[in-house]
Amino acid sequence: MDFSKLDSSEMQQFFSQEQQLAMVNEMVSKLTDACWDKCITGTPGNKFSSSESACLSNCAQRYIEMSVLIMKKFQSMQ
Amino acid sequence: MDSFSSPSPGSSQQMSAQELKNKLQSQLALEYAQQFLETVRGKCFEKCITKPGSSLSGSESSCISRCVDRYIEATGIISKTLFGGSQH
Repeated sequence: MDFSKLDSSEMQQFFSQEQQLAMVNEMVSKLTDACWDKCITGTPGNKFSSSESACLSNCAQRYIEMSVLIMKKFQSMQ
Repeated sequence: MDSFSSPSPGSSQQMSAQELKNKLQSQLALEYAQQFLETVRGKCFEKCITKPGSSLSGSESSCISRCVDRYIEATGIISKTLFGGSQH
């Protein structure tokens, strides 16, 4: 196979995009996993209760805030 | 833009950039799907098969079905919360 195409700028851009998508996917997967455990405590129903869906949404937001907080704290320790 | 020759069936490879991209994206999509399924299996086994019997009961089966739907929905909620719009 001809590998010389792989370092074209077109392919570089493609790899960069796919890398970003992979990071997005990773983040969503990880958070859904963690927030499911925190928020869906009973047996899954035919739909989420309003408190369950609110919990999931809140969970993701609080995680982001926590990340910022941790970063700030870490930076203040440098 | 480069011009690549398309491979004819059975010829030695000279894949176009677009073909390469398509192939890579298909492979990635498959990997993501496998990973997702792995997670769903784990979660729904936990939620729905609490005391494994000699066969899958009707309530266990419907629990699993609901669980898969809910997990997909949860993924959508998280995705939307983080990135907005409607992702799939």
